[in-house]
Amino acid sequence: MRFVVRRLGFFLVTLWAAVTLNFLIPRLMPGNAAIAMMSRYKGHVNPQAMHAIEIAFGINVHESLGHAYITYLGNIIHGDFGISLTFFPDTVAHQVFQALPWTLALIGTTTILAFALGTLIGLVSAWRRGSALDGALPPLFVITSAFPYFWLALLAIWLFSIKLGWFPESGGYDVTTTVGWSWPFISDAVYHSILPALTILVTAIGGWILTMRNNTITVLAEDYVRMARAKGLSPWRIMWTYAGRNAILPNLVGFAMSLGFVVSGAILVEFVFNYPGVGWMFLQSVENQDYALMQGLFLMITVTVLLAILVADGATAILDPRTRDRS
Amino acid sequence: MTLPSAAEAVVQPLEVTRKPWSDLWRAVAGNRKAVAGVLLLLFFLLLAIFPGQIAPYSPTAEEFGRGLPPSSAHWFGTTAYGQDVLSQLIWSTRQSLVIAFAVGGLATAISVLVGVSAAYFGGYTDGILSLITDVILVIPIFPLIIVIAAYERNSGMFTLVIVLGALGWSYGARQLRSQTLSLRHREFLEAARVRGERGIYVIFYEILPTMTSLIVASFLGAALYAVLFAAGLQFIGLGDPNSQSWGTMLYWAENNEALGAGMVYWAIMPGVCVALLGAAFALLNYAFDEISNPALRLRRLEHKGAQELPSPAAPVEVAADPENILQVRGLTVAYASDAGPVVAVDNVDLDLRRGEFLGIVGESGCGKSTLLYAIARLLGAPLAGEITSGQVLFKGRDMVSLTEKQLRHIRWREYSVVMQSAMNALNPVLTVEAQMRDALEAHSNMTKREMRERSKEVLRLVSIDPVHLLSYPHQLSGGMRQRAMIAMALLFTPDLIIMDEPTSALDVVAQRSLMMQIKELQERLGFAAIFVTHDMSLVSHFSDRLLVMYAAQVAEYGKTRQLFDHPLHPYTQGLLEAFPSIRGEKVRLTGIPGQPPDLLRPPTGCRFAARCPHAHERCTAAPPLYEVDGELVRCVLYEHEREAVAAT
Repeated sequence: MRFVVRRLGFFLVTLWAAVTLNFLIPRLMPGNAAIAMMSRYKGHVNPQAMHAIEIAFGINVHESLGHAYITYLGNIIHGDFGISLTFFPDTVAHQVFQALPWTLALIGTTTILAFALGTLIGLVSAWRRGSALDGALPPLFVITSAFPYFWLALLAIWLFSIKLGWFPESGGYDVTTTVGWSWPFISDAVYHSILPALTILVTAIGGWILTMRNNTITVLAEDYVRMARAKGLSPWRIMWTYAGRNAILPNLVGFAMSLGFVVSGAILVEFVFNYPGVGWMFLQSVENQDYALMQGLFLMITVTVLLAILVADGATAILDPRTRDRS
Repeated sequence: MTLPSAAEAVVQPLEVTRKPWSDLWRAVAGNRKAVAGVLLLLFFLLLAIFPGQIAPYSPTAEEFGRGLPPSSAHWFGTTAYGQDVLSQLIWSTRQSLVIAFAVGGLATAISVLVGVSAAYFGGYTDGILSLITDVILVIPIFPLIIVIAAYERNSGMFTLVIVLGALGWSYGARQLRSQTLSLRHREFLEAARVRGERGIYVIFYEILPTMTSLIVASFLGAALYAVLFAAGLQFIGLGDPNSQSWGTMLYWAENNEALGAGMVYWAIMPGVCVALLGAAFALLNYAFDEISNPALRLRRLEHKGAQELPSPAAPVEVAADPENILQVRGLTVAYASDAGPVVAVDNVDLDLRRGEFLGIVGESGCGKSTLLYAIARLLGAPLAGEITSGQVLFKGRDMVSLTEKQLRHIRWREYSVVMQSAMNALNPVLTVEAQMRDALEAHSNMTKREMRERSKEVLRLVSIDPVHLLSYPHQLSGGMRQRAMIAMALLFTPDLIIMDEPTSALDVVAQRSLMMQIKELQERLGFAAIFVTHDMSLVSHFSDRLLVMYAAQVAEYGKTRQLFDHPLHPYTQGLLEAFPSIRGEKVRLTGIPGQPPDLLRPPTGCRFAARCPHAHERCTAAPPLYEVDGELVRCVLYEHEREAVAAT
C-alpha cells in the first residue's frame, strides 16, 4: 500500500514540476517571444484569439506572477490548455486528443514491442553466452541504437518508399479513405505505420537488449539459479522463472527511465513521416509559433510518459513480491 | 553469497586500486569494442582539429555546380547551393565534438556532484537530491528542450550546451549515487572517517577514484545523448541555420528534398557521421560496462596457460563399492582468472558410506565449497570453475562424465543440496510452495494435491507451520528460511544431501538447534551427508568422519573422535587450539598465525610450512598423504610411520 502511495506521490510531484516548467519557461525567457509572436500575428488573427493569447502568456495583464501561477494551475486542472492559434478557435485540448490515438497506436505499440523483443533477445543471449547469437545481435543493435531516429527514418523512406515503392512515403492513412472503424481504413493505417514502426523498433531495441543481457548475466551468478540447477529443473524453466523473472525487474525500472528518451526519438520519426500524431503536431506548433498548442502537447507527452511509468511500476509490483511488502 | 571463496580471493577486479587510470588503460586496450570506439573517436578528433588541412574546399564557398553527383573532385557531390559536401562534413565535425565533450563534461560534473553528495550525506539531502534526479529523469527531455528552443530560436552553441548539460545528468547521478551508497560502509571509508578526514577530501580522494569506470560511462552516455539531441534539434530547424554542423546539413538537405532530387550523399552522409560518432560513444559505453562489471566478461579456462595446470594423475579404475555411496578420486578443479588458472581443489580423494555424516573443515578460501560444488556438478557461473581431472562415483556412476541432461534425472531425487544462505538460494519472486512444486513436477507425476501434501509433510519435518507454503522467502525469518531449504532438500528423501555451511548465517543458538535437527533427520531418514563448515566445534558432535582441507588439498582425513582426540597435522592441531572446547578445561586460545598461501602461485613444498611451528628443511618437498592408524595426514612428521598412500 505504501508503495502505491509513494509512487503516486512521485507521479504528482513530477507532474507538478512539468506544469510549473511549462508556466515558467515562456515567462523567464529573455526577449518575450509571445510579444514578438503577437506583433507578427496582429491583423491576421481575430481580436478574440489575440486576447486569449494575452491571457495565456500574461501580456498586458496586470497581475502578479504568483497570482498568474494559481490561475494557470486552476486552468490546467480543469483541462483548459488555452486556444490553438493554428486551429483557431479550436481548443488546445481538443487538438491534442485528436492526435493522441495515432501516437499511442504507433509509439505505444512499438515501444512495448521493442521492450518485449529486446528483453527476449537479451535474456537468450545471456543464457547462450558466447554463442553466435550473443556475438552478433547485442553489438549490432547497440550500434543501431546510436543512429539518430530521424536520419534512419529518412533512409527508410528513401529506400523503401522512393526506391522500392513498398511503403507509402508519409502520412498516417490514405486521405481518400474515410476515417473510422472500418477494415479498409484500419488496414491502410497499419500499412502506413509499418515503416515508422520499424524505424523506432530498430533504434529503440538496442538499449533493452543490453540492459537485459547484463541483468541476466548478473542474475545467473545468483545462488537461486544454482539451486534451480541443483533441483534438476529443465533449462527452459530455469531461464524463465529463475533467471528471466528476476532479471526483468531492474529492466522494468529501466523501461520507465528510458521511456522519455524513446518518446523523444519517436517525435522526430512522426515529423519525418508526417505522421498525424502528437510529435508531428508538436513540431508543427513549434514551426507556427503556436505556443499554447506546443505547451499543451508538451504536457500531454509528459503525462503519457508518466502514465507508462506507473504501468511499469504496477508490473514491477506484480512480478516482485518484495516491492509489495516493502514498508 | 556462496561464491567459492578460493577463487574469490584472486578475482576481485572491483577492489580499490591505487592506480585507477593505468588499470583503466590496460582494460581498454584489451577490449575489442573499446579499441574500435577509441579509433573512431580519434578519427573524428583529427577531422575536428585540422579541418582546414584535411578538407579539400571551403565549406561555405558556393562556387561549384549545383547538386553535382559524386566525382573524384567532389567525393560526395555538391549541395543544392553548389557547396562541396565532403568539405562541409569535415568542417562540421568540430561542432559535434565540442557539443559532445562539453555536454558530457558538464552533465558528468553535475551527476558526480549530485549523486555522490546525495549518497555521502544521506538524510534530507539525499531525499531532496534523489527526488530532483528522478523527476528530471522521467520528464521527456527532448520535448522540453524543443519548448525552450522554440522560445530561444536560433540559439547558439553555448545555450545548447548549457541546456543539454543541465538536463542530461540525472541517469549518471542515479548510478553514481547507488555506487557510492554501496561504498559508504566499506572499511576504507570508515577508516578515513575515523581519521577525521573532511567530507570533501573523502569524496575526492577516497570515493571518486574507485568509480572511474562509472564516471567514464556516465560521460560517454551524456556525450552520446548530446550528439543525437543536438543533431535532432538542428534537423528540425531549431539550431542556428548558418552554423556548420551535421544536423544543420541535414536540415538544408531535407528542405531541398535532397533524397528525391538525387543529392543522396548530401542527405545521407551527415547522418552517417552522427551515427558513427554516436556508435563510437555507444561502443565505448558497452565496453566500459564490461570493464566496470567483471561478471560480464567471459573467462575461459583453456584460453590462459592451460599448460600450467598440474598434469592429471593417471586415471585410477575404482571398483564401485556398494558400501560407499560416494567415492571421489583425484578430483581437481581449476578456475580461470585474469592472472591464470587457479587450482582450488587439488587431487582430493574421499569416500562416503551410506548414512554417513562427513564434515569438511577449513579456512575460507581453502576450496571446501568448490569441492562440494564439484561433487554436485554445480560449478559454472559466476566463476568458470572446471573439473580438470578426477572421478566422482555416486552410487557407481561417474558423475564427471555425465551430461547435464543425464544429471538432471538424478538431481534432487538421489542427492540434493542445501546452501549457505537461503536468502540468496531461494528464488525471491516465488512462494515456498512454488519452489517445492517445480522440483516435484520435474521428477514425479504427482497430482497438484499430492504435491501440496508432500510439501506440507516436509515442512512439518523441519517444524515449520505449513501455512508458510504460501510465504515468499523474504517473509520468513532467517532460521525459518534455512529450515525451509532443508525441507526442500528432503522432498524426495535422497540418499545424499550436500550442505554448504547451512548454519553460518544464523546466530549461535539457532545454529545449535538447526544442527540438532539436521542430525535427527539424518538418523531418522538415513541419508548420507557432506557438511562443509569453517567451524570445527560445530561438527564435532555430529559428524562420523572429518576431512580437513588446507590450500586446496586434503590435510587430514579420519574418524571425528580420533581426529579430535589426537590431531596429527600441525594445521589441525592449530585449528583445534583456535576453538574452545565446550566441556574441556580452560586453555589459552592460540590460533594460527599468518595467512594461507596464494593459490595462484602455491609453494612447491608443504603448503602449510610457512605457518607451521614444526617446519624444517624436509618441508621444501611436497609431502604425500601418510596413513597413520587408519587416518590420512599430509605431513612429513609421519614419514617414518607408514608408506605414503599414493604418489600424490
